[in-house]
Amino acid sequence: MIAYLIRRIWQMIPTLLGVVLLVFFLFNWVGGDPAYVLAGKMASPEDIANIRHQLGIDRPLWEQLWIFIRQIVSGDFGDSWSTHEPVSQIFRTRLGPSMTLLIPLMILETAVAVLMALLVSAFRGSLLDRSLMVASTMVMSISLLVYIIVGQYVFASVLGWFPVKGWSQQLSQNLTTYAVLPVLLGLLVSVAPSLRLYRTFILDEVGQDYVRTARAKGVSETRILWVHVLRNAGIPIVTNLLMGLPALLTGAFLLERFFAIPGIGREIILAVERSDFPIIKAATVYVAMATLVANLLGDMLYRVLDPRVNLD
Amino acid sequence: MTTTMRSPGLWTLAWRRLCRDRVGMVSLWVVLFYFGVVLLALGGWLAPDWTREVGVNYAPPTWWMGAQESENAPVVPTTAPDNVAADLYGLQDPLASEFAAMHAAYPNEVGLPPEPPRMQTLPLGGDKWGHDVLTKLVKGSQTSLLVGFVAALVATALGTLFGAVAGYFGRWVDDAFNWLYGVFTAIPYLLLVFAIAAVLQQRGVVTIILILGLTGWTGVFRLVRAEYLKHKSREYVLAAGAIGASNMRRMFVHILPNVSHVILVQLSLNVVGFIKSEVILSFLGFGVPVDVVSWGSMLNEAQNELILGKWWQLAAADLAMAVLVTAFSMLTDALRDALDPKLKQ
Amino acid sequence: MNTPNSSLLSIRHLQIGFKLQGEPLFSAVSGVSFEVPQRSTVALVGESGSGKSVTALSILGLLPKTITRIDPQSEILWQGQNLLHSTQAQLRAVRGKEISIIFQEPMSSLNPVFTVGDQLIEGLHLHLGLSQRQANARAVELLHEVGIPEPLRRMGAYPHQLSGGQQQRVMIAMAIGCEPKLLIADEPTTALDVTIQRQILDLIADLQQRLHMSVLFITHDLTLVGEIADQVVVMKSGLVREAGLVKDVFHAPQDAYTRALLACRPPLHGRPHRLRVIDDFMSEGQNPVGAGVGVGVEVGVGVRPHAGSDPYPYLHPYPMRGLTPPDDILLDVRDIKKDFRIPHGLWGHRLFHAVKGATFQLARGKTVGIVGESGSGKTTLGLVLMGLHAANGGSALFEGHDLLKPLSSDTLAMKRRIQIVFQNPYASLNPRFTVEQILMEPLMLHGIGENAAERGALMRQLLLRVGLPVDSLYRYPHEFSGGQRQRIAIARCLTVKPEILICDESVSALDVSVQAQVLNLLKDLQDEFHMSYIFISHDLAVVRYMSDQILVMSEGEVVEQGDADTVFDHPQHAYTQKLLAAIPNRGQTPPGV
Repeated sequence: MIAYLIRRIWQMIPTLLGVVLLVFFLFNWVGGDPAYVLAGKMASPEDIANIRHQLGIDRPLWEQLWIFIRQIVSGDFGDSWSTHEPVSQIFRTRLGPSMTLLIPLMILETAVAVLMALLVSAFRGSLLDRSLMVASTMVMSISLLVYIIVGQYVFASVLGWFPVKGWSQQLSQNLTTYAVLPVLLGLLVSVAPSLRLYRTFILDEVGQDYVRTARAKGVSETRILWVHVLRNAGIPIVTNLLMGLPALLTGAFLLERFFAIPGIGREIILAVERSDFPIIKAATVYVAMATLVANLLGDMLYRVLDPRVNLD
Repeated sequence: MTTTMRSPGLWTLAWRRLCRDRVGMVSLWVVLFYFGVVLLALGGWLAPDWTREVGVNYAPPTWWMGAQESENAPVVPTTAPDNVAADLYGLQDPLASEFAAMHAAYPNEVGLPPEPPRMQTLPLGGDKWGHDVLTKLVKGSQTSLLVGFVAALVATALGTLFGAVAGYFGRWVDDAFNWLYGVFTAIPYLLLVFAIAAVLQQRGVVTIILILGLTGWTGVFRLVRAEYLKHKSREYVLAAGAIGASNMRRMFVHILPNVSHVILVQLSLNVVGFIKSEVILSFLGFGVPVDVVSWGSMLNEAQNELILGKWWQLAAADLAMAVLVTAFSMLTDALRDALDPKLKQ
Repeated sequence: MNTPNSSLLSIRHLQIGFKLQGEPLFSAVSGVSFEVPQRSTVALVGESGSGKSVTALSILGLLPKTITRIDPQSEILWQGQNLLHSTQAQLRAVRGKEISIIFQEPMSSLNPVFTVGDQLIEGLHLHLGLSQRQANARAVELLHEVGIPEPLRRMGAYPHQLSGGQQQRVMIAMAIGCEPKLLIADEPTTALDVTIQRQILDLIADLQQRLHMSVLFITHDLTLVGEIADQVVVMKSGLVREAGLVKDVFHAPQDAYTRALLACRPPLHGRPHRLRVIDDFMSEGQNPVGAGVGVGVEVGVGVRPHAGSDPYPYLHPYPMRGLTPPDDILLDVRDIKKDFRIPHGLWGHRLFHAVKGATFQLARGKTVGIVGESGSGKTTLGLVLMGLHAANGGSALFEGHDLLKPLSSDTLAMKRRIQIVFQNPYASLNPRFTVEQILMEPLMLHGIGENAAERGALMRQLLLRVGLPVDSLYRYPHEFSGGQRQRIAIARCLTVKPEILICDESVSALDVSVQAQVLNLLKDLQDEFHMSYIFISHDLAVVRYMSDQILVMSEGEVVEQGDADTVFDHPQHAYTQKLLAAIPNRGQTPPGV
């Protein structure tokens, strides 16, 4: 097991390097000269040269790469180009609200999707199954944007059940008041694709030979579904969940933006609007690292759960 | 009795199966309808000029308000009347004599030319400036669909090529592509798209297509690679090698047709995904430029309009998008079932 | 033992159809009736498509509900109860307790995420209400009874950690745990090696005696039946062709199909010039061959006339077999080695020796047979000779060229001279190509034929030669049966007129009756084109029939080789002896046929 872990971590390094190179290529070469954008319309050549010097983009490329790598290793990406707040501080403070939104979302989404998938598998082929699938397709076809716009309008402005936007300093208040509507909307959108996926996993297992054997032994259909099938289907479901974590982060972007939740996603969108490169670079690298770690964890979990896989 | 009639191949059989699937056929017709609209719009026969302000600001939809109000309302010219008594405090208008001379020379041409009368209501309503929502909808559909479809083609083509080469040759070629795949998937999709959008300062339809296409190949790659890995050691490929077929021939003449149904389904899925991505991008302002209308830009405007109680642009854009995406998704499902009936439970 | 009114299970007028969406009702079982008496073994025999497995699964109601249509007149009577009209609860009480079933593929029939012990205990818990400790103890006992060594340790093992034979033993243990009165065995040994087959058969026979139960044994192999069963029911295309005591049916088969099944196996003793084919029998009797292009019965258009005119061709003297001095050697194989690298440990690899050194000589117009069980390396050897795997040592000289070290200049030319027919007829033809495209490709690649007309004529000629109608050119592989697809594969090889043909388990996936036809075809082609064959198979009777020389392989090594007759009649090596001993009934063709 340890051997496998070491080997996997070793394999992660080229990928991480690749991400660093990609980000560098994008921001320091393709988008290399934002000085004009940042300087504004009426800048003089000296102003632009000054900004260039401040940003460090007047140095040769390989030196910039080295600086970038140093920044990643030390965790200090300098300051934001627009607010001049240290990037690392930005991330530190924004992580909390993002997590407050994401973790309940993830827990609820999994529970709902798995339950519905089981329900659907138990009644597969029936009208309930087909109508639920059609309904989920239709739900998926409406953009999250629309849900947010309409949701804010209906539930907050008109009905007044929830506040339209905002965030507080207390966790409890956040969870019960401010996070509720965003989480519900996020749930609505993400449950549908998960449901379809989990349903496929479960149906794959239901058609296997060992289910026929269990039936031949006289085991009841309920037990077959909840014990035999779920234990098998649970493997891809759980690993899928773990590896989908970082993607959730980005899905929450829009929620944070429109509900004015001071999280990482909102910062990233603002940074893109303002061409605030340090933030975007740092975010990309950090999220990539998180993804790789999540993938690794998911893979390890898979190996632990599935006895067929050699733990070597 | 022998007949030399050609027997049906896989595509013919799949088509017949698809025809039997009522839901699939309905979806197909809907999608074809949309594509037809797009083609007409591209050719300029439909919705040629969405930028004309044909209605009053926030004109409500005709079907909502009832037909009787849909007359042309005379537009009150918005120029200020000439005879406003302004107290000049003893100052002389330095140009007064020139204007007097002009008025004397051209007595009939005073003020702005009269504007064409504006409609009180429009078929699907009007936006803040009085643009016809229906026209915008058609043009927006053109943009969104075009972007989605072309980007999907690019992404699918790239993914197929990479996947075929990686899966077939294996070893270090596979490792190299897997590394590339790892790098691209380590960054969550939307974040990567945002990052590229942030870097590329100029906006444009082509830019978005490139962004979406160059980042969206990963899904297709993974599937095509898996298929090629599976097929390359199948006996019919080995037999082709035994006969003397080259690697290129084996990859593209033998294996590719057997994988094409997977690719088609992926293409379909990608179209849906990219349309949704484009909408989000355009909504946030990173997508199409200001002078191009897409569903995303319409939704952007609609957000503010909703607070004022003007809901029709939102409804129109949303409905158009939802119908297309639903139809496309169901078509994808039907395609999948028609091409590989074993999967259906 | 057949006392009257002692029928345990009674099947009457069973009619089962499958209704897929958009397709007409497919009738799998069209009126089957037979009895299973107490304490006896009944064999249900038939080829693929006969409906035997469907019948067996229907007893316990294991067919997929959505597409199965069972005629309401059908009856499956178990101790007075019609199982087809039972409720789910009643069925569940019978399943696993009164009637048990074991399946063909033990690996996929066991739940991969639960231990062997857990799966055993589940049934005991469910039906016998034993406590955890009691069930545990009983499970260990059961494992011991089915012959699993170190049963206590095995309780915690997962299915994939056991070999195929052990997995099947575990399945049997699960099945007999509650001491059922009837055990249904659905092709339990088909997926196992010959030597393991023997052990499992012995085990089932032993358990049947000890537990006083009945066994319904489903198989396609009639030779097995002679060994294990008291009664036999022969099925074909959903109908019962013949039923009765084994000794009666074997001694004096009434039905033409039964006679055909009994005779089509290549006998282990004596080597007829041609094998008898289903057609020979079916046209004799009142049952006309009219099944059309279906599975199991093939209308051979190109069959040589003398097979029909001469009713007992196999009594004629046969040509010289074995390696005789004047034959010129075509292929000289010396000490071929092949290793595979398997990742092992942190970063290293370990070598798996698939072939550890094989040496033989192939003469023109003769056949070298390579026989062995799975994992013996025989298939790898064939693929290495074909050039589809790179060898790690040795040489294979073919007219001065070493096949294992091909020069790029003559690779394409060399490929013409040695060809291969694979095992799986369903995978060796590109499903998206028409037969015409399949046959055209080698012609085009090697520049055979001056123009399209010439190539077309060549293709048609080849199709007729292998016994397929000319309009096959425009059809796709999925429209043909297994045997027909093998013929197409053979025709594809013939397009380049090879001198050596490697047959890698080419008839193993085919039904017995179809096997005979393809083997006859191969023999005819060898005589006509003077080709040499390398015939690889695990089926000893088939290898004996086809080969002049034999190599016996086990775990990568050639343990014995020599003249075919000599090796079979006087085996020297212990492994060869074990292989021969494992064959049911020693392959005897029963008298009277």
